Amino acid sequence: MNILLCCAAGMSTSLLVTKMEAAAKLEGIDAKIWAVSANEVKNHLDDADVLLVGPQVRYLLPQLKKTGEEKGIPVDAINPVHYGMCNGAEVLKFAKNLIGS
Amino acid sequence: MAKFTQMLEEKVMPVAGRIAGQKHLQALRDGLILTMPLIIVGSIFLILGFIPIDSYPQFMADTFGADWLTKLLYPVNATFDIMALIAGFGIAYRLAEHYKVDPLNAGAVSVAAFILSTPYFTLFTPEGADAAIQVGGVLPMAFLGSKGLFVAIIIALFSTEIYRWVIQKNIVIKMPDGVPPSVSKSFVALFPAFLVILVVWVIRLLIEKTSFETLHNVVGKLLQEPLGALGGTLVGGLIAVLLIQLLWSTGLHGASIVGGVMGPIWLAATDANRLALQAGKEMPEVITQQFIDIFIYMGGSGATFAFAIMMLLFARSQHAKQLGRLSIGPGIFNINEPITFGAPVVMNPLLLMPFILAPLALVVTTYIGMTTGFAPKTSGIAIPWTTPPIIGGYLATGGNWRGAAMQLINLAVSFAIYYPFFKMWDKQNYETEKSAAN
Repeated sequence: MNILLCCAAGMSTSLLVTKMEAAAKLEGIDAKIWAVSANEVKNHLDDADVLLVGPQVRYLLPQLKKTGEEKGIPVDAINPVHYGMCNGAEVLKFAKNLIGS
Repeated sequence: MAKFTQMLEEKVMPVAGRIAGQKHLQALRDGLILTMPLIIVGSIFLILGFIPIDSYPQFMADTFGADWLTKLLYPVNATFDIMALIAGFGIAYRLAEHYKVDPLNAGAVSVAAFILSTPYFTLFTPEGADAAIQVGGVLPMAFLGSKGLFVAIIIALFSTEIYRWVIQKNIVIKMPDGVPPSVSKSFVALFPAFLVILVVWVIRLLIEKTSFETLHNVVGKLLQEPLGALGGTLVGGLIAVLLIQLLWSTGLHGASIVGGVMGPIWLAATDANRLALQAGKEMPEVITQQFIDIFIYMGGSGATFAFAIMMLLFARSQHAKQLGRLSIGPGIFNINEPITFGAPVVMNPLLLMPFILAPLALVVTTYIGMTTGFAPKTSGIAIPWTTPPIIGGYLATGGNWRGAAMQLINLAVSFAIYYPFFKMWDKQNYETEKSAAN
């Protein structure tokens, strides 16, 4: 499972990456999770199964959703509270559901 | 107060979303970023050239020879002084990406168009002479740097618009059947580029007929100077910071959105101070990129470093204690999404008050500090916005302890503004937690 995260500079989402990796390990899920800045997303999308967008750049969502649709990759914004509290387990669940649907 | 957040949600949010998603502004923002790593590397050499110790220049001259500074600043000339060239390429590249036309070609064409709008001579006054003579066969370095930044931006957007228009209208050179596809493909890139060069060439010829003489003078007089003057005032700084805070209040990345407009202005201001530093003159600009990044947004947008410290030290509620531990680490590096979304500050009237007030207050204190001479102005040294408080103020002012002192004062001011709101918020949390436990 390849989970791509994106925010303005890819910095604050990288916080979440560590928490999600820990949650994945706990659940015994083999996942590649990484964070990039908004202008790099295009170059990473082909390697991803799902793209999660930080709430602070959700203005990019329409644009990214369109790109995602073309490639058949689900794209959605992360719940702000889960994002703020770096709730890795919840965001991981969210990613799994998106891939599953 | 509920009305206020409703207004943010219904009025500010959609407009902000549209502005932020606007492709030219997005390309400007993303393209300008290309200059940052170079400028930060150049800054390392700049710091070494101007360490504020009285005996330092003499020591360096004795060790490395009289022209040590010129040699040390070679990398500065190769980074700061070509920021317009790099920015123009980056902006054209990013815009072309949006239009799904070849970004590398669009970037190269934009650089050529930029050079085409720049004079190929400079004025030079020889020693002992009264009048300047015109020297040919050169590109004036000043125009390739911050002085040419706005021209580069305009040319990048303009040339890429022509470039993609030609391609999307399918006005390309069609080869007869039988011509190998890769041969005809090599001609495809020619026509859009030709049209861009043709248009910019005609514009140059027309401007040379006027008293402006060059596009750089037109843009400088009509755009860059007025915008720079406006952005450099206290009111200009307050408005920009207010907008950033209002955007963040709705949970949108304000600095990134407002930066699309203010970025070039603040960057040019940073470089104006750098040039003054190198020339040994009084620094002209107070409000620069570092003024905003380092002195106002300590701990992240909203100046939340003080708030993170409060949560860590004085919290009673479990929520605040947990958030304090979570947010202090990123806060040291001026990243505060855990606070904005975790507290949350976003759409929370109680915390929005200090979140908006504190940065505005810091703009005023820092402005006063730097104009009265208590604190030095930022000296054009571009340090990353992630540089921790205290160290940041010290480095951004060229290694001056008063820069760090200014940050300490700002930390105290933001602490005082956040504290009463923090107390109320923490108490609310504490009581909710207590009643939930019962």
